Amino acid sequence: MRHLNLVKPLSLLKEEFSHTDEIHLDSFGLSFTRGTLIEIGGAPSSGKTSLLLSILSKLTSVGEICALVDSTGGFDPCSAFLAGVELENLLWVRCGGDIEKAFMAADYLVQAKGFGAVWLNLSCLPKHQLRFVPRNHWYRYRTRVKETPTLFLVTTEEPIVGSASQQSFLFSRKPAEWFGTGRFKLLKELRSRLISRKQFYEPMAAEIKFDYTNV
Amino acid sequence: MSKLYACIISEDAKRDKAVLVSVAKQFSYSIETLEDGVLFDVSGLENLIGDPGQLIKNILAQLKANDISGQIRIADTPDTAILLARSDSSHLFNDTFEEFQNLPLQDFPIEKDTLDIFHDLGIRKVHELRQIPANELIGRYGQQFKNVIDVIEQKGNRRLQPNLKENSVGWSYDLDFPIDDFEQLIFVINRGLDQLLYQVKNRGFSTEQLDISFKLRTKTERSYEIKASFPTIEKKFWLKLVNLRISLDPPEAEIVSINMMSWFTRPRPDQRGLYAVSRPASEDLQLTVNKLKNMVGEENVGVPVLLDQRLPKAFNLDPERFPQGREKIEIRSEASIVAFTYFNPPIPAEVFVRDKRLLSIKTPHFSGSVRQYSGVWKASSKWWDKPWRIQEWDIEVENGGVYRLCKGRRSWSVIGEYD
Repeated sequence: MRHLNLVKPLSLLKEEFSHTDEIHLDSFGLSFTRGTLIEIGGAPSSGKTSLLLSILSKLTSVGEICALVDSTGGFDPCSAFLAGVELENLLWVRCGGDIEKAFMAADYLVQAKGFGAVWLNLSCLPKHQLRFVPRNHWYRYRTRVKETPTLFLVTTEEPIVGSASQQSFLFSRKPAEWFGTGRFKLLKELRSRLISRKQFYEPMAAEIKFDYTNV
Repeated sequence: MSKLYACIISEDAKRDKAVLVSVAKQFSYSIETLEDGVLFDVSGLENLIGDPGQLIKNILAQLKANDISGQIRIADTPDTAILLARSDSSHLFNDTFEEFQNLPLQDFPIEKDTLDIFHDLGIRKVHELRQIPANELIGRYGQQFKNVIDVIEQKGNRRLQPNLKENSVGWSYDLDFPIDDFEQLIFVINRGLDQLLYQVKNRGFSTEQLDISFKLRTKTERSYEIKASFPTIEKKFWLKLVNLRISLDPPEAEIVSINMMSWFTRPRPDQRGLYAVSRPASEDLQLTVNKLKNMVGEENVGVPVLLDQRLPKAFNLDPERFPQGREKIEIRSEASIVAFTYFNPPIPAEVFVRDKRLLSIKTPHFSGSVRQYSGVWKASSKWWDKPWRIQEWDIEVENGGVYRLCKGRRSWSVIGEYD
């Protein structure tokens, strides 16, 4: 049985998994490792954009420069400002719905090195177009951001990155909460369930509320 | 090697200042502008051009070419050159020494009382004053009179003080034959940049603006103003930037000549803070932004800017600005808020309404009954404008999401989703 000593105990493996250079989001109970590719998927109104804005807020507020590849041009800077994103530290690239340009723009950005985060937003693009994206794109991004401080974030409605991503999260929406009665109602909050698709040791699932009252 | 100084005195130096300086620049780098002219160092030019007489002829030819006139003199000391040029003597002398000896004393820095005494004694010119022993003059008029004697003996210790504040350097090149494709000129531009940035570096400056103008075969000129967001003299960076900028909007005709000008700025301090966060190197950021602008269009890359107005889309993208990497002092809570995303273009919708209540919605992408809604809101505060007529609702669609619904005059559309 001596040869079995070569195999590390599971607890030790788990320790090695957690890196020191991590970005913690206390409000979501999540942490992201720099130099990796993270995928965030989910149905409409499930909270993907809110989570991404929280990450950008965390990074830009300390002076890091982040970039957003807005594939369809749907980004709303007003929401970003309310989420605490320092807009002066954000580079916004609008691709006008051209998927090829979006991927090339993301490639240029990861080549520049040094961005706190690069967010490739593919949320509003047609699903059939995204299914045709070759897998080697994702592996290329993964290799490019490796050993850099950049967090490469991808948002889509359905998971498409596959094994190239280090972490993959999936949001599912729950009914929204409204307050007021009759015709005088206001949106109060969105509720979502977050599932980590790659947390092998402790399958994680959390319920998150997105507040709309102060918006 | 003895020093030689040239001085040009003009009748209207204020008017002619720029021309005088440009003429002086053709002969020297060390130039001092005077109230009534310009003084410059021409030492060593006797090997290139000839004796001082020939040098004066050349300078005079340059002045004539620029349609101005002036008194030009060349001497061993700056004082002598200035005094001779200012004397404006119409009498021709064999050499400058003889001319200097005949200069009137009132041109020299001598007090008026002393000048009056000299006048009463019949001493009016330099050679007359030189006959009096220097010790006697110093003993009578004080130690400060020694400076006057030094000037008279052409031993003045005044030095040329370059006071011309240069703020740019230029480089130009005339092509042997017109070139249509700008990319063929990259090697020429590379050489030009090499020389230009070397000059900038030698003067202890850096640059963040480069002006390039091409003279075209159609006898027109095409100019480009290329700016970096930071000072740098890295040639590779400037060459890439020039290439990206010009390929975005190339000249419309064949290029005949190139003119480049680099503007001086203070060099960038290279020191960073101990706890500075990582960010892309300024050169990399600028080049990446320019590459992106080349690909998706200039108006689609930049920094988001909010507008202080109540409008449907109260924001802009500023393509002129670069991300600054500025740290925010204000600390906010980490509470997550509901974000909004626009659909671009808006999705047309069919909405079923009964008793002024939204019942269901049908679009090419989703459909379902409206679970909850709030509204109606006005999209804009500009009541005198068209968007005032647009009405908005926030709707939650069964098995869908939470959307913002808009109604124009007759048509409905979904302009975005809460996410």
